[in-house]
Amino acid sequence: MVQIKDLNFAYPRQQTLFTKLSMHLEAGSITGLLGKNGAGKTSLLKLLTGQLHPDSGEVSVNDHNPRKREVSMLNNVFFVAEEFYFPAIAINDYIEIYGPMYPKFDLNLLRNLLGDFDLKAEHNLNRLSYGQKKKFLIAFALSTRCRLLILDEPTNGLDIPSKTVFRKILAGSLDDNQLVIISTHQVKDVENLIDKIIILDNGEVIFQQTIETISQNVSFVSGPSDDVEGAIYTEAIPGGYRMLMPNGHTETDVDIELLFNAITTGKKIF
Amino acid sequence: MLLFKQSFMVNKKLIGISLAGLTGIIFISLVLFQSVSKFQIWNPGRSMATFQLFFFSLGIVYSSLSFPAFRSKEKTMFYLMLPASNFEKFIFEFLTRIIAFILFMPFIFWMTANIEGAIVHRFVPESIGFYYRFPFETFLKTFKHKDALEGWHKFRNIQICLFAFVAAFAGASYFSKSPLMKTLFMFLIIFGGFSLFTYLLSKGLNLTENSISGNRILFFKNNDEVISYFAMAVMAVNLALLSIAWFSLKEKEA
Repeated sequence: MVQIKDLNFAYPRQQTLFTKLSMHLEAGSITGLLGKNGAGKTSLLKLLTGQLHPDSGEVSVNDHNPRKREVSMLNNVFFVAEEFYFPAIAINDYIEIYGPMYPKFDLNLLRNLLGDFDLKAEHNLNRLSYGQKKKFLIAFALSTRCRLLILDEPTNGLDIPSKTVFRKILAGSLDDNQLVIISTHQVKDVENLIDKIIILDNGEVIFQQTIETISQNVSFVSGPSDDVEGAIYTEAIPGGYRMLMPNGHTETDVDIELLFNAITTGKKIF
Repeated sequence: MLLFKQSFMVNKKLIGISLAGLTGIIFISLVLFQSVSKFQIWNPGRSMATFQLFFFSLGIVYSSLSFPAFRSKEKTMFYLMLPASNFEKFIFEFLTRIIAFILFMPFIFWMTANIEGAIVHRFVPESIGFYYRFPFETFLKTFKHKDALEGWHKFRNIQICLFAFVAAFAGASYFSKSPLMKTLFMFLIIFGGFSLFTYLLSKGLNLTENSISGNRILFFKNNDEVISYFAMAVMAVNLALLSIAWFSLKEKEA
């Protein structure tokens, strides 16, 4: 569904961001795109949606070149940006105007999601808080049933109950034909949601694995001391240490934060 | 059609306020212009001159407001991600910002001028020098004038009219911030540079002394040829400006 081959990209008068970047993503997964500030996450998402144009290389989304911004691509891709714009109209009007632009738009799903997020259809978008607007944007994005959903820092600005609702509705509103890419620094918010992790660093994909493969190959354990034989990476936490261990006897939940820190500090985990 | 619908529904208040504002500006301006002669001297010719002033000045300002989404990064992203093709977006802007203005502005002016004339006529004593009606035929008469719209003259006038709007339109698609000021500044530099180049060239080639007769202008045989050449040149510039607008939209990044 998403194919990137030998992508080169640099902003004008700036250092090259991506050099020969390649990536392949298939439908039916929620992929977490992680990276430090300035690693190029948002730029990559914009390249996938045709908002930035590569200097060279191939980018293909649903067999379309995003650069052309064809209708048949745009009505099957939805980008929830971190900073976004809404016209000053009521939610109802927004749905009436923009819903029909997406062929698989599901109005019933949207009504349910608005209820889950405690949003009223008669609310004017201009009078909502940032978090409420974000919730509506996420609900609308899911209701379009676009094949590719791109969420850039989706939980930023959401309160704690809304984060819980977000996780619930994201897990329950997708089908196997959809691909979701979530770029976030709030890894705890998406920990049990994503099934694949991509880590970008200095414009390169330095790690790309499914959660299943990770949990089969390494364990995430806690202990009172970091002096444990074979530990790949350790990190101090209140009252002890978190450790990344080679394939142990038990499968553990993936601690994405620990994994991310290990990989970005150059540890080879498998 | 969805673009028209979304634009109307999102901007209906703004459209209403703008129309009211436009009518108000025309009304007040007409009253002010007529008050100079204490409402004693006015005729359709003067209304027509006022119309032309508004047509060009407001038309340029309105065209320079094309592609309003490009004024902010978030709006640009929203606009680029709208499921409509670049061509549809371009045509929509061209129709609503240039063609619609050219078609509707005469009607708005004609209506306002007549309402204003009727009100003034009611309150100001009659004068033989003050003709308060503004017949719609005035527009047609202006366009039927012998020299105004015949052959190449006609084509030239249309192209010049379009140039003002298309230049502002192209500027609005190319520049994100203060597009009108930047466009005016850019054309000032281009025309200034071109004039200087022409002057230096004519000096260098000693064209004034080398002319065969007073009527001959470079390689043109007569005045009509000058006008046809000029009309074609302006058309080429207009097409180039529309191409700039198109490619600015097509290559726009957020």
